[in-house]
Amino acid sequence: MDKTIIAAKSVIAVDIGSTITRSLFFDVVSGKYRFVAVGSAPTTAGVPHFDVTEGIWRSLEELQFITGRVLLSEKDGVIIPSTPDNKGVDIFVATMSVGNPISVVTVGLLDTVSLQNARHLAHTTYANIIAEISLNDHRTSSDRINLLTRKRPDLIIITGGTNNGASQSLLSILESIGLSSYMMDESQRPHILFAGNEQLQDEVKSGLAKISKLRVAANIQPVLGIENIQPAQKEINEVYKEIRIKQTGGLSEVISWTEGTFTSTASAFGRAIRFLSEKYEPEKGVLGVDIGSDATIMAGAFNGEETLRVFPGLGVGSGSGGVIEKNSLELIKRWMPFELSDQEIQDYIYNKSIYPSSLPLNVEHLEVELAVAKQALRYAAEQTIPSLAKQLGAGGTLLPYMEPIIGSGRILTLAPKQYQSLSVLLDGLQPTGVTTLALDQNGLLPGLGAAAEANPLLTVQVIESSTFLNLGTIIAPLGVARPGTPILRIRVNREDGRSFTRDIKYGSLSVLPVDLGEKVSLHLRPLNRFDVGMGGPGKSGKVNAIGGVLGIVIDARGRPLQFSIDQEKNRKRNETWRKTFSKYE
Amino acid sequence: MISKVKHIHALTSIKRERVLPVAGHVLVRRMQKVSPADVIVVAPLAPKFVLLDIAQGLNVNPVRADELLQRQAGEDLVQGDIIAGPVGIFQRVVRAPQPGIVRIAGEGKVLYEITSPEFELQAGMEGTVTNIIPERGAIIETKGALIQGVWGNGKITYGVVQPISNDMLQELVVEQLNIGFRGSIITAGYCREPEVLKAAGIVPIKGLILGSMSSELIPLAKKIDYPIMVIDGFRETPMNKAAEAILIENKDKNIALNAQELDTFRGNFPEGIISQSSTSEPDLPSEAETLKVGKKVIIINGPQAPQIGEIDKIISGKQGLSNGIETKLVEVRFANEKSTILPLTNLEILKD
Repeated sequence: MDKTIIAAKSVIAVDIGSTITRSLFFDVVSGKYRFVAVGSAPTTAGVPHFDVTEGIWRSLEELQFITGRVLLSEKDGVIIPSTPDNKGVDIFVATMSVGNPISVVTVGLLDTVSLQNARHLAHTTYANIIAEISLNDHRTSSDRINLLTRKRPDLIIITGGTNNGASQSLLSILESIGLSSYMMDESQRPHILFAGNEQLQDEVKSGLAKISKLRVAANIQPVLGIENIQPAQKEINEVYKEIRIKQTGGLSEVISWTEGTFTSTASAFGRAIRFLSEKYEPEKGVLGVDIGSDATIMAGAFNGEETLRVFPGLGVGSGSGGVIEKNSLELIKRWMPFELSDQEIQDYIYNKSIYPSSLPLNVEHLEVELAVAKQALRYAAEQTIPSLAKQLGAGGTLLPYMEPIIGSGRILTLAPKQYQSLSVLLDGLQPTGVTTLALDQNGLLPGLGAAAEANPLLTVQVIESSTFLNLGTIIAPLGVARPGTPILRIRVNREDGRSFTRDIKYGSLSVLPVDLGEKVSLHLRPLNRFDVGMGGPGKSGKVNAIGGVLGIVIDARGRPLQFSIDQEKNRKRNETWRKTFSKYE
Repeated sequence: MISKVKHIHALTSIKRERVLPVAGHVLVRRMQKVSPADVIVVAPLAPKFVLLDIAQGLNVNPVRADELLQRQAGEDLVQGDIIAGPVGIFQRVVRAPQPGIVRIAGEGKVLYEITSPEFELQAGMEGTVTNIIPERGAIIETKGALIQGVWGNGKITYGVVQPISNDMLQELVVEQLNIGFRGSIITAGYCREPEVLKAAGIVPIKGLILGSMSSELIPLAKKIDYPIMVIDGFRETPMNKAAEAILIENKDKNIALNAQELDTFRGNFPEGIISQSSTSEPDLPSEAETLKVGKKVIIINGPQAPQIGEIDKIISGKQGLSNGIETKLVEVRFANEKSTILPLTNLEILKD
């Protein structure tokens, strides 16, 4: 932990994604850490290489080419630490998301309490819950044993009982878990993570430690109504690491380069968002979303407290088929500005899931991919909003006020037009109040999160260096009115003294022409008791804003967005919105 | 750029690992020749356990129950055998509910495994066992034609390959499914109607190999009880010419069809293998090669898939597609001398 700026300067952060492996290079420039360059190459975890080092090597070769700095040696591989003649790198950190989700059985006392905690924990990593066991399920001990020996999960998460709470009923379930583990091949015994009643820890250790790969964490719910997920989250990340080492060729070698600074991409992403939350406005939370090929990540943080949710099988590449399966074709189609047959859309999505690296060749197919991204994000947001709202002390089904919102993922960074990236975030997340949509255009967040463990100063300084692209300030008033009703009067005061005023009507999407980086003062006066986050319905206020790529966007379309059952009407409306944005880029 | 090789070979060496996920009993030996239906390993894939509460059954405490146990871990029992007891005025006993084995006994309880039929893993292909994987299975090698797919419904079979027509250009329709295809693995261009899959099950055919299939059929195809493999993807286009030629040339020969689900992380692809006796010793096919001028490629996605062509030119730098995406492009020339420009990412290498 003592690798400070004095001892170590340059950092490479490698992220092994399900389609692309990226190598980020950070170094000290003019006395401060800065992001320098990125190299990328196809990931080689699966067929035909089955060795992640191949993809890392190629991404580092590209990085060498871009930076002109020698990072690799034929003899020694990655040069660590750096040499006096500026070859190599001082710190190497790695994150990873590629691989099939780990299979998890969750165990708790009651479905609505402890099992819910176990689910939250499982969802902080790339995991699929394949079965659940609780007192509510009316399974006998024999049923539980048979379930576990047949499912052969990678991990069993046990929660339940507050400290000093129930113990006997949990012990009876633990007996079944112990017996089933004992009956499995030693090589196939599941990892067990116990995060329940702390009074049972000794019994759990004596009963399960010899016959399973046991980890014990602080109670995830020490007192009824209080969730303490982070200690168990740390342990689940270690389990993820152990499972991936076993499954993935070359990963042990990579970890040897990192001196242990290896984590899941999601965990590192969450950590970076947590860092950001300590930097920005304390009264609002920071939200980060990553739309990957196979998985979508939502990470919210408020004053250093983090809510992380991972959705494996929900993405824009190999996970695109999962977007149909978890939603429906109709829900994807509602985002389309072009008319395409159901069959063409669905065939395109399933082909993308079997050929995730392939690219759309025309505008229509690009729009299919953007529609998939919007729906993936919408689904992820709907699932995560209750946890975010609880954390922020808000309620309801709308995204709570968060500032800023940062989007990551190749679908956003490779989109030919930046309004396309903005509209994915805006439509998928449907933010409320006043916020900023930013783009992690170089995919730095996982790298910054991973580097934070070895070198927190780097993470802080790179975040402070305006590394994210401001797509636009968003103003999204909340309330109900008939379309066309004036709901907001906005006055924009520029720094040079010029100003203009606009009346905003319900149902509209409009762009205020403010240049990228231009500082303005906004006076917001809601009409008809609409709420723009100034302290309540109808309350006016001033807010300082900075123009993004799309200036300032007033999204008065309502929350949540309403759709017609007539797809043609939706298509026309999407086309109107698309034209609204495209005029300004 | 390195690209995956799509395996469509008229003659190649093929090496496959056939293993169970749990320990079992391997029934083959090294250098043994096997047929697709030969069982190579057996194991209780889904054992059934019963946790017997002896103390409760005998109405005694756990310590006393342990004293009354008549069986130890590892003992085979038949139905009705006494496990514990007798005790009390009514001579209470606990008996074996079904034939099985005592697995764990103590603390007033017995974990009893009921004897259940063992899962038999078949070789799934013709070939020679070249290596034994202790307790798990074997490695089988053969020579022959190999056709790799991109989607399978998770089933496996072996049978005679019967192209539905002399080319794979056409849609497979119900009218083509006559009694002559009963018990065959039929091959066709593409399929889009659910009635076709249902009718094929009534014939019944043994398996189905399609060039492409409408994605709307995926839920039904997963439920169909014969194996279905899709070679090129989800659309309504004829089968790629390389696969078509191999399947027509091998008409009436036996094909081992393993329509396993695609899992690129583990390297599992659906595939068909037609073993052939050959005096030549072809190499194992390479899994990846560099995309360069002169390489034969197959277009994997987009309106021109699954056409086959040859890389004519690699365009330097990144170029814009009509939708604005910037990427590395190549010019691909087809057999008819026409050419097209495509992203490198939309190609896979095809080897003869």
